[in-house]
Amino acid sequence: MVEKKKRERPAFNRSIAAAISKHYKDVQTNKPMAYLLMASNPLVEIAYAARIQPAFPENYACACAAGHASAGYCETAEAYNYSPDICSYCRNHLGYIYGPGENPPTGGIGEPDLLLITSSACTHYFKWWDALHEIYGKPLIFINTPRVMEPQSKPDFYMDYAMREIEQAIGEIEKAVGVKITNDKLSEAVKLSGEVVDYWQKLLEMQKAVPCPMDYSDLSNALFVLIVLAGTQEGVDLMRETYNETKQRVNEGKGILSKDEERHRLLWINIPFWYKLGIFGYFEDRGCVFPLSDYTHHIWGTTRMDGSKPIESLARKALEGELNTSVDDQIDKLLKDAKEYHIDGVIAHSNRSCRVLSVGMLDAVDIIREELNIPALVLDCDHTDERVYSDAEIMNRIDAFLEMLA
Amino acid sequence: MSSVLEQMSSAVSNAPAVLQKMKRNTGCRMIGFFHPVIPEELIYAAGIHPVRLFPYFDDSITLADSQLQTFLCSYLRAEWDQIVKGKYPYLDGAIIPRSCEAVTFLYQTWRRHNPYQFIDYINVPWKRSENAISFFAKELGRVKRDLEKFTGREISKDSLSSAIEVYNRNRELLKKVHDLRKSKPPFISGLQAYHVVMSSFVLDKREHNGLLEQLLTELSRRPQSLKAEVRLLLSGGCVIDSRLWGMIESGRAMIVADDVNNGSRTFWHFVEDRTNDPLEALAKRYATVPCGFNTSIADRFKYISEMITEYEANGVIFAINKNCESEKFVYPELDKKVKDKLHVPTLNIETDYLIDMAPLRTRVEAFVESLKV
Ligand code: SF4
Ligand code: SF4
Repeated sequence: MVEKKKRERPAFNRSIAAAISKHYKDVQTNKPMAYLLMASNPLVEIAYAARIQPAFPENYACACAAGHASAGYCETAEAYNYSPDICSYCRNHLGYIYGPGENPPTGGIGEPDLLLITSSACTHYFKWWDALHEIYGKPLIFINTPRVMEPQSKPDFYMDYAMREIEQAIGEIEKAVGVKITNDKLSEAVKLSGEVVDYWQKLLEMQKAVPCPMDYSDLSNALFVLIVLAGTQEGVDLMRETYNETKQRVNEGKGILSKDEERHRLLWINIPFWYKLGIFGYFEDRGCVFPLSDYTHHIWGTTRMDGSKPIESLARKALEGELNTSVDDQIDKLLKDAKEYHIDGVIAHSNRSCRVLSVGMLDAVDIIREELNIPALVLDCDHTDERVYSDAEIMNRIDAFLEMLA
Repeated sequence: MSSVLEQMSSAVSNAPAVLQKMKRNTGCRMIGFFHPVIPEELIYAAGIHPVRLFPYFDDSITLADSQLQTFLCSYLRAEWDQIVKGKYPYLDGAIIPRSCEAVTFLYQTWRRHNPYQFIDYINVPWKRSENAISFFAKELGRVKRDLEKFTGREISKDSLSSAIEVYNRNRELLKKVHDLRKSKPPFISGLQAYHVVMSSFVLDKREHNGLLEQLLTELSRRPQSLKAEVRLLLSGGCVIDSRLWGMIESGRAMIVADDVNNGSRTFWHFVEDRTNDPLEALAKRYATVPCGFNTSIADRFKYISEMITEYEANGVIFAINKNCESEKFVYPELDKKVKDKLHVPTLNIETDYLIDMAPLRTRVEAFVESLKV
């Protein structure tokens, strides 16, 4: 019987938890409030520059899943004709709208005054926000940007289009909320966002250390800062704190596991099971850590933000995240990173909800397995809809994989 | 059935043989594509035969599963399965639009497994604004250059304009045939209209235009023999299973109008304003196609409500394929609008590749029964 250990978590988690609680209070009280998408997008900085409070229904879905409320919300959405084929983030949110229940997690996510969206990831976003536009009747401002299938040979007019779309959206937002978004305000937000990204990139570098300083939950907490607080001083302060503490841990040789305990360094592909984050502790108890994931490393924080070129930086942010590129791009990055992060095994979540991250994944896993000569396990599941998860089946497969790895 | 309708329906059911024969006889290159958002005129003007891809309903999916998970649209998986099984030896390549996720990401799978020489993609915009059109025209310019590289031949402005001419004529004729369904009873059934449109995905457009002209003459001479006690509009993404159209019409109902990728969405809008830049004109037209992935609920409702009124449909059947997430996402609000604003009853059925029609038939029959006037 493997002993289940209680491990000391880095202290920055407490600061981030406080920021998350504050965020969910703010979305209920601050006005105007807009729904925004999570995928790497230019609207977060624009919202802060316009003093609009952003709220993120996907992040709310993660919170609901962690609080085991998602299955119920998905069921409610299905009763309102939203098919189980639709991403569970969306169903979670629509279910919450139609039947929030008495005590929704975090107290709820509030009703928006504005709907802001880009096409930087999946078709779902546009469909989802369009449905919200029908439901709430609030203005919908949509930035359409192209998908960058071949990042190495991206045509210049892709950037031009993205920049024009952003400029136009800024005008529409100004009109909708009656606030002028000056160049100074936008530059300031982009500059702060850049500082968050700089700390984030240095933070990810730390994950290469042996032993690995942060576990998956630590990193996904830090992701909240990177995504939700991009463009704020609060975000910079929190990311700095996260980085400084992690750097100190690395200097002191502190990891999730001790150097002796850390036997395997695994790559996690796709979004985790938000309702079962404890799974990472299960791996840790068996000597495995996850220093690398496409989800934490390649979707956000990949664009250097330059406050002196705000529109250009925001356009690059919209185009460069992994959700807006291609699986080939993802494979190249993972092959390179897997070596640098000393990865010796792969867990890939074939996520029925997220086609963007799952189509082509079977090829990706084959290529990584062959090129790096490391074992890989593909788990069929869903990131938010807990009803899809079968504990017996998943854990049996993980156990078999761990045995093989040993 | 008229002789022209027979020819058309045979071109659809024997598409691989027809295309193979065309290849043998003409030696022309062929490029496959998905969805009505790819400006075919570009391919046609390059001297290449454009083939709209749809799977043939004759084989279970066996090979595709190692690349495409079962939670993706089964039509697309069946298509890929048939590609990797080498069932389209006549193809030289494909152009993939940014559209539903399953299709969009097939680009990379296709490139990696490289079944044919040429592969390209088109970033179809999801907006109809000036910015979007000007971007789309530039994107088409990029694809035009890729096609020129592939054939070693320039696509001249004249050849593009004449391709647009041929395609617009095709649209005009298809619209005339479609309009024959306005009358009571309609001149042609939904299933016949299905074959008329689907055959345009296989045959050369000039040849198809000739057939359409003949068909219109034949139909004008033919006495009306069809019955349509219940007039239906069919809405969905790719409603490509002919059995479904036949099943819906096997009783007293007739599909008098449709809002599907392989139906009216293909020919509804014309390429206008060709005087200056043909690429811009194509961009304008193809950005307007009301597919599920790029069209708002409000625009979809406008499209189908006009059709419901003009074709006097008294019921709507939404037939959406399993895992067709864009159409499924639009459905709840669109359905509500059709019921609440137009007071037209609806039925929602889910299709799937090689699905058993019996349970669907029971539901369709009950729905039609409830609508009988
Ligand atoms: S499908 Fe993927 S990218 Fe789209 S909303 Fe869901 S999780 Fe996000
Ligand atoms: S049925 Fe839907 S998901 Fe399938 S190919 Fe057509 S539009 Fe795409």
